[in-house]
Amino acid sequence: MKDNGKFFVGLGGVALVVTYLIWTGVSETMVYYLTPVELMARVAEDPTFHEMGVKVSGRVEQGSWNRAEGELLHHFTVVDLLDESVRFPVEYRDILPDTFNDTDIVDVVVEGRFRGDGVFEATVVLAKCGSRYEATPEELLG
Amino acid sequence: MILLGEFALWLALPVGIWGAVAGFIGGRKERGDFVLSAEYCVYTVFFLLILTSVGIITAFLTDSFEYWYVANYSNRELPTFYKVSGLWAGQRGSLVFWALLLSFFSAAAVFTNRTKNREFMPYVVGVLLTISSFFLVVLLFAEVNPFERLPFAPADGRGLNPQLQNYWMTIHPPTLYLGFTAFTIPFAFAMSALLSGKLDSRWLVITRRWILLSWFFLANGIIFGMRWAYEMLGWGGFWFWDPVENASLLPWLTATAFLHSIQIQENRGMLKVWNMGLVTLTFLLTIFATFLTRSGLIESVHTFAENTTIAFIFLTFMGVMAGLSALLIAWRYPALKSENQIQSFLSRESAFLFNNLILLGAAFSILWGTLFPLITEGLTGTAIAVGPPFFNRVNLPIGLALMALMGIGPVIAWRRASRRNLVKNFLMPVIVGSMVVGGLFLRGVHHGMALLTFGLSAFVMTIIIVEFVKGTKARAHIEGEGHFLAFFHLVSRNRRRWGGYIVHVGVVMIFTAFAGVAFNREVIQTVDPGETITVESPFGHEYALTYQGLSSPRGQNMLRQAVALMTVERDGRPVESLTAQKVLYFKWEQSPITIVGINSYIFEDLYLILENVNDLGGAFENDAAAQRATFKVQVNVLVGWIWYGGFVITLGGIIAMWPSRGSTKTASRPKTKTGGERPALAVRS
Repeated sequence: MKDNGKFFVGLGGVALVVTYLIWTGVSETMVYYLTPVELMARVAEDPTFHEMGVKVSGRVEQGSWNRAEGELLHHFTVVDLLDESVRFPVEYRDILPDTFNDTDIVDVVVEGRFRGDGVFEATVVLAKCGSRYEATPEELLG
Repeated sequence: MILLGEFALWLALPVGIWGAVAGFIGGRKERGDFVLSAEYCVYTVFFLLILTSVGIITAFLTDSFEYWYVANYSNRELPTFYKVSGLWAGQRGSLVFWALLLSFFSAAAVFTNRTKNREFMPYVVGVLLTISSFFLVVLLFAEVNPFERLPFAPADGRGLNPQLQNYWMTIHPPTLYLGFTAFTIPFAFAMSALLSGKLDSRWLVITRRWILLSWFFLANGIIFGMRWAYEMLGWGGFWFWDPVENASLLPWLTATAFLHSIQIQENRGMLKVWNMGLVTLTFLLTIFATFLTRSGLIESVHTFAENTTIAFIFLTFMGVMAGLSALLIAWRYPALKSENQIQSFLSRESAFLFNNLILLGAAFSILWGTLFPLITEGLTGTAIAVGPPFFNRVNLPIGLALMALMGIGPVIAWRRASRRNLVKNFLMPVIVGSMVVGGLFLRGVHHGMALLTFGLSAFVMTIIIVEFVKGTKARAHIEGEGHFLAFFHLVSRNRRRWGGYIVHVGVVMIFTAFAGVAFNREVIQTVDPGETITVESPFGHEYALTYQGLSSPRGQNMLRQAVALMTVERDGRPVESLTAQKVLYFKWEQSPITIVGINSYIFEDLYLILENVNDLGGAFENDAAAQRATFKVQVNVLVGWIWYGGFVITLGGIIAMWPSRGSTKTASRPKTKTGGERPALAVRS
C-alpha cells in the first residue's frame, strides 16, 4: 500500500510536470496572431507592442518584392486581406519558400517583430498560393 | 468506366447503411442471416469503392477535364505516375481513397474472421460500416463529390501543384492513410466487445496485429513525410510542427501508448477502462487528422480549400462517436474492473503506466499547441499562436523521459523489482551511458540536451544489446545450439518481444538524430562559375564546393529548369558532384520550385540549395552571361539516422507482425472455441 501511494504521487508528478511544461512553454513562446488591421490598432494603443513577437497573416502586395543585391535580404509589403489601405513593409533574411512570389495572389503568414520604425522584421515567412490550390469554374475557362 | 464509378459511389451508401443496420440487428437479435448479409455488404462496399476509385483514375488518365476534380488536379502533360496519384492529390479524391482503404481493411477483417471470433463480428461489421457510411455521406452530400461536372469541358486542367510533383507523393499519403484507416479495426472490435459484453482480453488478442499494422504504417508514413519535407525547400526541414504534421503524430503517440498498455492488460488484467479509452481516443484522433486537413480551420501547408460544411459534419461525427463510446464504456464500467493492483512503484506495470502517461502528456501538449489559436480566439477574440519553439521546449524533456523508460520498461521485473534485479540490469547500461556523455564532453560536445540524448541512447542500446546477448547465450546453452542459430530461434520464438526491441533501437536512432540538429552548420554565398564555397562539418570534415555553372535542360511537364552544378571535394578528395535546381512547371509559371542537392554520409549530409539565380530568365535561355547565383550550403548532422532508424523500425515491425505458430495458438486460447461451427450461426452460441 505504501508503494501504491508512491506510485500515485509519481503519476501526479508526471501530470504536474507536463502541465508546468505546457504552461511555461505557452507563456514564454506565445505570439499574438493578428491581421494587419489588428496589428496597427494594437500598436497605436500600446507602443510597447513593438517589442512583442507577433504573427500576422495577410497578402503579398503584387510587385512589392525586391531582393538586396549580394546579400540574402528580402523586402516586400504585406496588405490586409480585407482592407487594402492597411499595409506594412517586411524585411526577411533567409530563404523564402517556393510558394512565395509577388505576381500571383499569395497569402502569407509572417512571424517576427513590428519594429518602431514601421518595418516588420520577419523570422518566419509561410506562403500559400491561395488561388492556386482549387479554382472556380470561371477561372478554369480562362 | 467513369460513369460506372459514379454509380458505384451512389450505390455504396445504401449498401453500407443496410449492412450497418443488419450488423447491429444481427448482433442484438442473434440472427445469423442478418450477420451474413452485413458481411456481404462489407465486401460489396469494398468492391463498389474499387469501382469508384478506378472511375476517378480513369477520369484522370483520359484527361476528362469536364470533371471539376480532374480539371483542378491534372493537365494533359502531367506524367501518368501523378495522374494515378490524383486519386489522393485533392480533398475529394482523398476522401474516396480513405473510404477505399477503410473498406479494404474492413473486408480483410471480415475475411480473416469468417470462421473464428464469430461472436464479435456482428457489431464489428456494424461499427465498420457505420464509419464507411459516414465517409460516403460526406462524399455525396458535403459538396465534395469527385464526379461533379463543370458546365463545360476546359481544354486543359490546371495541373498538379508542382510541390506535389515528387515521387513521395505516391508513397507518403497512401502509407499514412493505411495507418489511419487500419486503426478503425481495433476500434470496431473494442466497441463490439463493449456491446456484446465479451470484455476479457480477447478483443485485444484478436486485434493486436491490427494495432501493430496501423502503428507501423503511421510510423512509416510520418517518416516518409519527414523525408519529403527534408527534400522540399520551404517546408521547414524534416519537422516543422505544422498542424497537420502534428495531427498525424497524435494518433501515433496514443497508439504507441496503447501498444504498451495492452501488454499490461494481457499480462496482469489491469487497465481495461484505460485501454478502451485509448483505443477510442486513437480512433478519434485519426478522424481528427483528416478533419484538420479538410476543414481548413487551421493554417497549414497541407490544408485543402476551406470547407465549413465538412468541418461541421466531421465535428458532429467525432462528437457522436466520442459520446457513444463514452456511454458504452460507462455502461460496462462495472465489468471492466481491474483484476490486479499495482504492487510496486518499481515494476514493469509502473514503467509502462508512466510511459502511457508521458505519451498522453506529449499528445495533449501537441493538441493544445495546435488548437491554441482557435481556443484563444474563441475565448478572448484575439488569436494567440505557439510555434516550433513551444513544441520543442515541451517535447524535448518528454522525449528524454520516454527514452529513459524505453530502457527501463522492458527489463524491469513485473509486479515488484528487487534491488538485485535493478543492479543486475541497470548497472552496466548506466556506466556505458555515463561514459558516452563523459567521452563526448571531453571531445568538445558541450550542448547539454544533446549530451543527455546521446547518453540515454547509449543507455537504452546497451540494455537492448545485453538482452539479446543474454537471450542468445541462454538459448545456446539450454538447447545446445550454435550462437547464430540460437539467436535466430530466440527472435523467431517470441517475435513480438524481440521485434519490439528492434523497434526501440530504431526509435532511439531517430531521437539521436534529432539531437544532431544542434550541430548543423550553414554558409550562404553568392558565386560566379569557378568560385568555391567551403564549409567545415562538426566532425571535422572539410567540404569545398566549386561552382561549375548553370545549364537548362527540359524534362516532362517542366516548363524550364536551371540546374546548377557543383563539384565537391571532401577533405581534399573529389566526391560525387551536387546539382541544385530551380524548375518552372507547366501551368505554374509564377512559382519556380527549388530542388535541393544532397550528398549523404553516415553521420552527416551535405545539403545544397540554389537560393537565387541573379538572372533566372537568362539562365532558362542558357545565357552564358547569366550564371551568378546564390547558394546555401548546409551540413546537416546525423539527419541520416532518422531514415536508418526508419528502416530498423520497419524491420522490427515486420518481425513483430509476422504470423507465427505461437501467436495463432494464443489467439485461439479463449474458452469458447467457435472455430469449427458454421460461421453465420456462431453468433447464437
